[in-house]
Amino acid sequence: MRPCLSHIGVILRIALSTAALLASPGAMAQIVGEKADSPPNEGRYLYKPVPDILVHSWPEEAVRLSELWRERPILLTLIFTRCAGVCSPLLRSLKAAIASIGGAGREYTLVVLSFDARDTPSDMAGLAEHLELSKDRAWIFGVASAEDIARLVRATGFWFEWEEASRQYDHPAMVIGIREGRIVRFLIGGTVSPVRVQEVVREMRGEFVPAYPLPRRNVLFRCFQYDPTSGRWRPDWGFLLLLIPGTMTILGTVWIFRRERKHRAWEDRESS
Amino acid sequence: MAERTVVSPVWLGMEQQRWRRLTSTWMMVMLLLFPILLLLGAFMRIVQANLLPTLLPEWFYAVMTLHGLGMVGTWFVGAMAAVSYILTQYVRPSRKVSWTALGATLLGVVLLLATTLVGRFGVGWYFLYPLPFYPAGIWPTWATWAFLFSLAILGVGWTIWAVDLLRAIAQHYSLRAALAWHYIRGETEPEIPPAVLITTVSLISALSGFLAAVIILVLSFLEWAGTGFTNDALLMKNLIFFFGHVLVNITMYLGVVLVYDVLPRYSGRPWKTNRIVAIAWNTVLFLVLFAYFHHLYMDFVQPQWMQVLGQVASYLISVPAAVVTIFSTLLLVYGASMRWTLSSLLMYLGVMGWAIGGVAAVIDSTIAVNLRFHNTLWVPAHFHTYYLMGVVLMLLGFAAHFGLEVSERPENGRLAKLIAALFVIGGYGFLSMFYVGGAHSVPRRYAVYPQEVMQGVDYARIALGFIAVLFLGVLLYLWETGRRCALAFRTSESS
Ligand code: HEM
Ligand SMILES: [Cu+2]
Repeated sequence: MRPCLSHIGVILRIALSTAALLASPGAMAQIVGEKADSPPNEGRYLYKPVPDILVHSWPEEAVRLSELWRERPILLTLIFTRCAGVCSPLLRSLKAAIASIGGAGREYTLVVLSFDARDTPSDMAGLAEHLELSKDRAWIFGVASAEDIARLVRATGFWFEWEEASRQYDHPAMVIGIREGRIVRFLIGGTVSPVRVQEVVREMRGEFVPAYPLPRRNVLFRCFQYDPTSGRWRPDWGFLLLLIPGTMTILGTVWIFRRERKHRAWEDRESS
Repeated sequence: MAERTVVSPVWLGMEQQRWRRLTSTWMMVMLLLFPILLLLGAFMRIVQANLLPTLLPEWFYAVMTLHGLGMVGTWFVGAMAAVSYILTQYVRPSRKVSWTALGATLLGVVLLLATTLVGRFGVGWYFLYPLPFYPAGIWPTWATWAFLFSLAILGVGWTIWAVDLLRAIAQHYSLRAALAWHYIRGETEPEIPPAVLITTVSLISALSGFLAAVIILVLSFLEWAGTGFTNDALLMKNLIFFFGHVLVNITMYLGVVLVYDVLPRYSGRPWKTNRIVAIAWNTVLFLVLFAYFHHLYMDFVQPQWMQVLGQVASYLISVPAAVVTIFSTLLLVYGASMRWTLSSLLMYLGVMGWAIGGVAAVIDSTIAVNLRFHNTLWVPAHFHTYYLMGVVLMLLGFAAHFGLEVSERPENGRLAKLIAALFVIGGYGFLSMFYVGGAHSVPRRYAVYPQEVMQGVDYARIALGFIAVLFLGVLLYLWETGRRCALAFRTSESS
């Protein structure tokens, strides 16, 4: 019954930037990970282990993901600092969502990791500064070795590709919920709504989240409509369809017996 | 039961011969499909016992689908055919409709064989939405189409059949009389044979189930025809279990009709409708639409009141009808000068199997228990109990009775007891391995057991021994009864 996120019809691509002036890192003109037109299919990665990679942050600090997830669940996101597209809006909306639900650093840690080999720990520190998050201990901005990034990408369904024309990486926007080293949820898309993050946090806490909105439209006869802000659902008229068989049977049976009544009277006369 | 007058004198001659031909044809189809489907069941246990390590698991699922649907369908049509024959004592169903239903059934079976054994369509017997639409490269598109098509054919054929039987009843009884409402008020005139009451209840339920199936098919075709619509999974699941639960349930009830009608002939005591019988079966009719909710206990979106209703309905629907039937059976047999033939032995065992399977089912329909047992082998355990050791034995009992009655060849009493013994040992042995598996958390529908539930492999191996014993019993039974049914076919008039 769990709706999966693979059905989002929207393809998330980075907006092209005309102002990209940076030199192309020749060695990276390739796809890392399994590129797909649709966002990673959550179902394929759910409860799979995440590689325990080493994250370097500024200044000169290195921490293993396992050290983090042993303490509390992690919300991980992969970006690159020179992004002219979705990365920045993604981080801003994540920050806003986190601020509104609270609990960062207490219930979970946020890890922002660059997949771009050109990024250094200090680039990442700059990004944190820019987002006014450098003082927040709940947020870790870092980089990792190219091999580690490749392992992480393979384990999570993330991918990125260098596009020479725009001099930008094409990549999906996603936040990955990790509990005790395993993937528990994906949040796909450039905007992160507080309700959805709240769900992921509850899920990472080990709580059972019974429903979240199915990003499919055109559903015929829904049983329920789900309201994500209140977390409640109310019956929709698809449920009425369940009354049809019973009602039609009653009517049909009465009809059959009425239709044969003449016959019955005739038989009675004959037998008497 | 005191021999009731037949509908009309004409019936005794040609009509009777024709009904015998029709019924023996149905019985032979049933007795032919049974061993094949049983061997498919054995095949699944062989896979689960790790005896075919190189087999692709999709074969397991294709066979599981064929076995499940095949068994459910076979015993349903067998029961309908047998009940029609019984009903000819009281009313006059159409033979033509029954032959048409046979044609539809055979066509459906051929399509099903193709979808599963050629197309490797492996969604399980109730084809839970949206699985048929996600073949994951295992089965081709035509297999899904052929499957839906075969369901449509079977659905239409069987609906017409059920409507015709109801029509036949309606020609003789008013609806109130057929449902024995006057018994509830304390009157006993006109007399309503239990067979008529229970059949009416079953057929009305069956119609609602088939209508649910129609809605499923229409919605599926709509999604598939590329209208851009997708279906609501919860709605589909509700409809599917509405249909599936009702189909399985009424097969059971039709089996009980046979017991009510045939067993008294071997005990020499009548079995009449009374107030309690009438109340129990009307309760069934009233609640049949709600009991299926117990299949959706794990669907957290389903409203709480439906879950509670599901549990209450499941108890109320099974307990009165089963208790009344079981006690009546015991009373019928106790102290009577019972003639123990193959038929009466199997029918008696069938009622006991229903009791045992029913208890296991009621346990599982309790929400608190279902939380643990859901989708473990406990589920196949209970439904195999009331099917294999319940309705199947009742129907085999009927076929034995029919064969004996028509062929007039005396029976080998010792062989009958041997067959019954093999059925009991093989059947319950096989079932016990399902129960033990379920109690030890072995999940259902696993072709290959993962490390965590390796014990399942041992249970599957032990089960195979019991299945062999059961199969031997089935072969002996076929030798006894199959021959008689074939003889009945040859000596009866063709229509
Ligand atoms: C000796 C006879 C039989 C054997 C050996 C047998 C064996 C099996 C096995 C091994 C399974 C798969 C269990 C699992 O989920 O792991 C199964 C499923 C099933 N069987 Fe049987 N069975 C027998 C008789 C019957 C009968 C008489 C019926 C009557 C309706 C029946 C109906 C089903 C159904 C509906 C399923 C479920 C299929 C599904 O999950 O889609 N079986 N059987
Ligand atoms: Cu970006």
